[in-house]
Amino acid sequence: MIKVQGLYHSYTHDHVYAVKNANFEIAPGEIFGFLGPSGAGKSTTQGVMTGLLPLQQGVVQVAGYDMRLRQRELFNKIGVSFEQSNVYSKLTALENLEFYGKLFDVPTLDPMQLLHLVGLDGVAKNKAGTFSKGMKHRLTFIRSMLNNPAIWFLDEPTTGLDPAISRKIIEIVKDKNAEGATVFLTTHNMQVADELCHRVAFIIDGEIKLIDSPRNLKLQFGEKIVVVDHRVDDTTKREQFSLVKPDDMARLQTLLQTGKIEMMHTKEATLEEIFIQVTGRGLL
Amino acid sequence: MQKLWTTFVKDARLSYQGIYFYMEVGMAIIFVLVMLFAVPENFDRTQTFYALVEIEALKGELSELIADGGDHQVKFFDSRPALEQALAANRSAAGIHVHLQGQRPVLELVLQGHESESMKALLRSTLEGAMASQLPGYVDRTTVVTLETAPARLSDRVNLLPIYLVINVAFMGLFIIAAYVFLDKEEGVIKAFAVAPVQVWHYLVSKIIIMALMAVVVSTIVVISLVGFRINYPLLILAILAFNVFGSVLGLLITSFFDSMTKAMGALFFSVFVLMFGGFSYFMPWFSPAWIRLLPSYPMIFSFRELLLEQGDVAYVLQNIGLFIALSILLFIYTNYRFKKTLTV
Ligand SMILES: Nc1ncnc2c1ncn2[C@@H]1O[C@H](COP(=O)(O)OP(=O)(O)O)[C@@H](O)[C@H]1O
Ligand SMILES: [Mg+2]
Repeated sequence: MIKVQGLYHSYTHDHVYAVKNANFEIAPGEIFGFLGPSGAGKSTTQGVMTGLLPLQQGVVQVAGYDMRLRQRELFNKIGVSFEQSNVYSKLTALENLEFYGKLFDVPTLDPMQLLHLVGLDGVAKNKAGTFSKGMKHRLTFIRSMLNNPAIWFLDEPTTGLDPAISRKIIEIVKDKNAEGATVFLTTHNMQVADELCHRVAFIIDGEIKLIDSPRNLKLQFGEKIVVVDHRVDDTTKREQFSLVKPDDMARLQTLLQTGKIEMMHTKEATLEEIFIQVTGRGLL
Repeated sequence: MQKLWTTFVKDARLSYQGIYFYMEVGMAIIFVLVMLFAVPENFDRTQTFYALVEIEALKGELSELIADGGDHQVKFFDSRPALEQALAANRSAAGIHVHLQGQRPVLELVLQGHESESMKALLRSTLEGAMASQLPGYVDRTTVVTLETAPARLSDRVNLLPIYLVINVAFMGLFIIAAYVFLDKEEGVIKAFAVAPVQVWHYLVSKIIIMALMAVVVSTIVVISLVGFRINYPLLILAILAFNVFGSVLGLLITSFFDSMTKAMGALFFSVFVLMFGGFSYFMPWFSPAWIRLLPSYPMIFSFRELLLEQGDVAYVLQNIGLFIALSILLFIYTNYRFKKTLTV
């Protein structure tokens, strides 16, 4: 569905690259996430993939269209939601959607239903300029769904939203994906990446460090740890044992045989911990 | 076409809610009001004369002659002190004293001191002509007339109209269309537009049409209020369209080199300033070197002038309309190319 090969992008047209040698492919029906801290090059990559930025070097194919050719019909098949909401503040929410919907050559969804989906139906007739940041973000988000896109690009879809709305957005993405949409999303939120993405790419300083499914990453990098609460002289003591270190294994075995164990569970590494482990840096 | 229409309707709705449309209308209203109520139809044309004529036979002749010259009035006095006193009371009147020196009538102009040289020359030749007609062997009134009427002339009020039209039609648009584009860039909506299946020219042409409509409506109303229906309106509208589109396309082209209004301001002002130089030749006909004639404002102003004249040169106007349409098309092709490259960068 999407193919990116040897993609480089420099805003200054020199050797200072915002994206360096990116290579990945996204299969139909996949949710593919770009996970990385702010300034890593996520939006730049999405910009080139959606034709907002010129393709300087490399190959980018989206839904079979070569992005170098800039064919406008492609935009009937894709939807793009932006990191910074961008709607006409002097038009109402409904007018914004109605106008945008008319630009497509394919059937579009009913604007009122979309507004209802994210709880904006009550303010459909209000000017977008009067909206809070979160409301504008939701409007930008549903606008990208108007043409029922086969490929959906979401730049930081949940950033800056309160938890309830974030949850709503995540559910909508899951639903659309279940209906068959391929999704490319960028985020610096590891929970979103973990919950939504079939595969994630770790990106930092413009370079993709690895690509895999969250599950594989956890299996591969997550040090398996057993947390044990046990009683020592009337107090509860909590200890962690690595399942890969022989020392820890021996001590755990002793404890199992002789100790008074109250509770015991395994803990898996979070995507963020793995990110730190792989890239040496956090997500913020 | 349907997408252009959709975009146009949206742009119309936005500009109707924006400030620029009202600015243009406000400017037009102020201009019309100033022209109608503060600017006389013709500067210096109505003159009150105070006369002391010591040759009885000349009195009637003088009144007649002065009345012939336009909307003038004459009032007679009996003595020099009375004349001077009246002149002191009305500083815009001019005095005439005719008396006999031996057998020759002598004309003396009693002026206030603020009259221009041309005014003095005009008065003197008019009056001398009048007296010459009373003396045998001096019948030569034609010289009097030639001084006053230029071959083709607009009233002083209408004379200012071409300047207003060029500013409003061609050069205000430069700023307004740039402001529209930068507003879209600022709101980011230009990015949303860029990921929709529309063409860049839809975006540009929609804005050009908005500007053209505003220019045609506002300018036509201004012209009607000031000159009535006597001129060739279809041709005027065609000229407004051609010149306005040129201004808009130029504005768009300049816009494509900058990413904010503040940064573009210098270039916009500079262009307008250079382009407006043609206006100098309009008020100072003796100053029209070739390089000024090449600036767009020169043919624009003079086309509007021809349009406003009773018997204007239609061919000249049409030729300029054609010229600007051709220029606009060429500029547009380049501008469209620039925008495709830079719309969202
Ligand atoms: N319009 C721009 N002009 C110049 N540099 C930019 C521009 N946009 C982003 N950058 C730079 O490119 C790098 C990647 O930015 P971006 O792709 O926005 O990162 P992310 O989306 O991962 O936060 C950053 O160093 C950023 O400063
Ligand atoms: Mg970003």
